Amino acid sequence: MVVEERHHGQPPAEYEREPVPAKARLGLKEFVGMYAGEHCAGTELMIGPLFVAAGVSAFDLVMGLIVGNALAVLSWIFLCAPIATRARLTLYYQLEKVCGRKLVTLYNLANGTMFCFLAGAMITVSATAVGVWFDFKMPGLNDLYPNSFGWVVAALVVGALISIVAAYGYKMLADFANIAAPWMVLVFLVFGFVGLRQFVDAAGTEMNSLGDLWHLATTQIWKGGEPLAGQVKFTFWHVMFFAWFCNMAMHIGMSDLSVFRYAKKSWYGVASAAGMYVGHFMAWISASILYAYQLHLDPADTDVLPGPLAFRAAGLTGLLCVIIAGWTTANPTIYRAGLAFQAIMPKVSRFKVTLATGLIATIAGMFPAIAMKLLGFVALYGLILMPMGAVIFVDFWLIKKFGLQSNYAQLSGKTFNLAAALAWFVTLGTAWALVKFAGVQIFFVSLPGWFVAAIIYIAVSKIYQRKVHSA
Amino acid sequence: MRLIAKIVALTSLLLLTLPSVFYLAGRVSLDTVKWLMILATVVWFVSASYWMWPRAEISTDRQ
Repeated sequence: MVVEERHHGQPPAEYEREPVPAKARLGLKEFVGMYAGEHCAGTELMIGPLFVAAGVSAFDLVMGLIVGNALAVLSWIFLCAPIATRARLTLYYQLEKVCGRKLVTLYNLANGTMFCFLAGAMITVSATAVGVWFDFKMPGLNDLYPNSFGWVVAALVVGALISIVAAYGYKMLADFANIAAPWMVLVFLVFGFVGLRQFVDAAGTEMNSLGDLWHLATTQIWKGGEPLAGQVKFTFWHVMFFAWFCNMAMHIGMSDLSVFRYAKKSWYGVASAAGMYVGHFMAWISASILYAYQLHLDPADTDVLPGPLAFRAAGLTGLLCVIIAGWTTANPTIYRAGLAFQAIMPKVSRFKVTLATGLIATIAGMFPAIAMKLLGFVALYGLILMPMGAVIFVDFWLIKKFGLQSNYAQLSGKTFNLAAALAWFVTLGTAWALVKFAGVQIFFVSLPGWFVAAIIYIAVSKIYQRKVHSA
Repeated sequence: MRLIAKIVALTSLLLLTLPSVFYLAGRVSLDTVKWLMILATVVWFVSASYWMWPRAEISTDRQ
């Protein structure tokens, strides 16, 4: 997922405040490889099982993922990549021109905080692999707090190692992640094959055709019905919106402007399909089969623990996959969170900031709440950063049609564009009110939220830009 | 040498995946699959490191 991305190399010192020149642009193949690797991460091993815990049916899962991932790919192709290949700027420079430096600082704070918690979930995933070796009590599906001393120590050790590596040797582990990516994708595929066979044996059925496979899927693996205690029931719409919006910060939120500014053509956004249908289709389905098999063996065993799940299916290789998947994705996430915070405190060294960020992520990783509630957290993550994507979209394509200035902060010398700030805050307030008082689930508020942000940005800009001009 | 490493690495990925296909077809035991997978994993990381490290990369500055 999401969420869960791997970064290929250290962010460059070049082209941070200028358009990427023609000589530095890259072909489609580079983007396909990057997306396929980035979106097959440790957190996929949580998301797949959580779908099963949410009582999803086979049709809802498969169709929801096909449609939702297609919408995500279309969002990259039609919303993000066209702006990226025209402006060829990083998200941060583009935001600075529109919103001003102070508002970007606030955005960095939000972004860094979300990255910290996301890295915490990745540490949680890796720590579950340690539990297989040392056999301490691990958190259950509805646990919010650490429930054993062994778990705290495991999360602390894993988190400390990841943080130290992120601070010292980010680049080396990023190179290692590139090498691990093809292996990891195939281990996820193996999880699916092994899980299927285990189901066939356990159910005492035969699988000689696609019809048999579908029958097994609907009657044994994803049976639908009531979710497990404490979980939200997932329908087609939940799966579709989750698959579409789990990387919302990247496509609709425009974070991947920084990626596609290197693309020769805007249609290279189609490369994101490699990530969606490998990581957010195959890997989620594989991981969910493993968990469904665990429930089939013992319906009372509802713990979502990637380590034991992977070990049961693929032995030592499965455990290595959990550790490496968690590590290689937590590493760049902590590093990027550190960068976001360092932008706020430029005088403090990147080393110290990354270590401190890693410490926060480690503490977050000790609390299983984030990993066990990952579906909701990922939806929240996309929602929080989405309004700025709407602001960029409107500013780039529409605002001049209303007789207003684009890149207003740059033109006016303002460091805090009030119109953009209000678009952000009011949208989040509206979403919060919809969830809190109207009973709308968080998975569904981002879509209306985008339109709220766009309308507020235009409406307030009408007043704000005139007021500033006349002042 | 790099070409040999590439061939060995790609072969190891086949060794990683194919046993599970045979397991799905009911032709081999799960223990055999697990042993072949760990062997393939070792071969992959040794040979792919030689083949792919360091690789050209997309640097994205997403922060």
